[in-house]
Amino acid sequence: MATPTRRAQHKDATGLRIRRKEIPKVPTGIAGLDEVLRGGLPAGRMTLLSGGAGSGKSLMGLQFLLHGASAGEPGILVLFEERAASVRQNAWSLGWDLASLERKNRLHLLDARVNPEAVISGDFSIKGLLAILDRQAKAMRARRIMIDAVDALLYLYNDPKRERQELHTLHEWLLDRGLTAIMTVKSLPQGEAPSRYVFLDFMADCVIHVDQRVTVQVTTRRLRVIKYRGSGYGRNEYPFLIGENGINVIPITSNVLQHRPPGPKVSSGQVRLDDILDGGYKRGTSILIVGTAGAGKTTLACLFSQAACLRSERVLYLNFEESPESMVSNMLSPGLALQPLIKTGRLVVRSYLPEALGVEEHLFHALKALDEFQPQHVVVDAISACKRMGSEHAAFEYLMRILNACKERGITCMYLNQATGLDIVSEISGIGVSSIIDTVVLLRQLPIGGVMKRQLIVMKSRGSKHSEQFHEFRITDQGIDLV
Amino acid sequence: MKARKRERRRYAKPGGETYVFQLFVVGNESNSAQARVNLARLCEEHLKGRYQIETVDVLKDAATAHENNVLVTPTLILIKPFPKVTVFGNLSDTRQVLAALRLIGDER
Repeated sequence: MATPTRRAQHKDATGLRIRRKEIPKVPTGIAGLDEVLRGGLPAGRMTLLSGGAGSGKSLMGLQFLLHGASAGEPGILVLFEERAASVRQNAWSLGWDLASLERKNRLHLLDARVNPEAVISGDFSIKGLLAILDRQAKAMRARRIMIDAVDALLYLYNDPKRERQELHTLHEWLLDRGLTAIMTVKSLPQGEAPSRYVFLDFMADCVIHVDQRVTVQVTTRRLRVIKYRGSGYGRNEYPFLIGENGINVIPITSNVLQHRPPGPKVSSGQVRLDDILDGGYKRGTSILIVGTAGAGKTTLACLFSQAACLRSERVLYLNFEESPESMVSNMLSPGLALQPLIKTGRLVVRSYLPEALGVEEHLFHALKALDEFQPQHVVVDAISACKRMGSEHAAFEYLMRILNACKERGITCMYLNQATGLDIVSEISGIGVSSIIDTVVLLRQLPIGGVMKRQLIVMKSRGSKHSEQFHEFRITDQGIDLV
Repeated sequence: MKARKRERRRYAKPGGETYVFQLFVVGNESNSAQARVNLARLCEEHLKGRYQIETVDVLKDAATAHENNVLVTPTLILIKPFPKVTVFGNLSDTRQVLAALRLIGDER
């Protein structure tokens, strides 16, 4: 009995493998979203975009149309709730000139607000709307359409069954015309669609949910693809932000680790430490420096940065603990002159207050800095402060993504972590990132004979020999003096 | 004051001003056909000899529908006398239509 079943399954499986082919897609032009969608929205089909008030769904749809307008795919924006004039005005605040695109027949804003004073007597259909859309779509050879807040029209029915029928009519029309469509639907604060629109999730070929949430007083925006018929997609929740240029989604760029292999050794900035590490850190790897407050983490990171800058390399220093000015002045004490390095432009220090921005904004700024500045090394001081971005989870996400971005680009990534207790060995993990860290350097202070002795040990150094001893060190006014 | 008095009257005064209607339909689909019949009957009963109906088929003249922002069909628009009135649907509820068109007064 079992054999035929297995054979049938096997046959199915091979059949699928042979037929497998990605469906045609239309890029949205929204940074990061196309990666999550593995190319874009399903061409000639409908995508449902659900979200609460202020979640950014209308903006996302508008950006999709604007991308089409510039890519030779004219689009129609059907507005059931907002005035066309206010949409034009709001778009201006992002520097988008809708009126000029309308004049060029690449975009059409259809003001489809229902006359609130109209009287209803008996049954009706939305054929008028379809006739108008038909004419407009033909006239401008539209390829894309966004239907914003259609519930404002369907509300007239006051009958879930008729609403559903009319939505089916609309859906059929969209499919017949081969338009790539986005339809927005409001969702309740809990993130689910109002029960009478749940069927839309089944009707649409692709469903995307966007929301805005507050975790410990920090607001973050998230996006999740719930389904995508005929295509794979990124299944996580992705942070996104609305910046000066519209929407930016920040995906983990790939589901496989596409990390570059580690490069040759590069000096740690301290001669003895280089010996302990059998030549230094490896280029393009990740380094974690753990220690209690005042153990010398920042000093060690600055020594490394200074050495890199003196080799004419670039270092991006993300500081969550102090301002660039106070960092420069504090580092004068162990004899490090950072100001000249900043002046040459090789050292860039960016200080942020962790709680001032959501994790996606922090990420956006950091990734932008990586792309613009193209550093060879990045320092994050300190990852313990990153928890203040909202939660430990947010911090983990931030650190993972920075690390991934660095590894993909072959950038050395140095994380500093402040341990709170004396038993720092158990705190090495640093928000759970330690497993993907290549080198761990531990700094500790021990009270021996009435003095605090500083000790350094290399706990781990992937793919390289290293000393397994504790080494005593002192911070002098010429840097670190390691025994 | 005079206008208000007239509103209270149960039926429109015969021999008043001419009513001008625009009726937007979709070909011969059922709601549209019903709306045509209902409107014609209602006009014959209440506005005999003083009404004009312009029927617009949105399938043939989407431009006029667009200009008038006609999203649902059938849509009846009373153009004259002012103020403009819009009624959606097949006009099956006669009393409601008459009330909307100010052809019957307040029911109190």
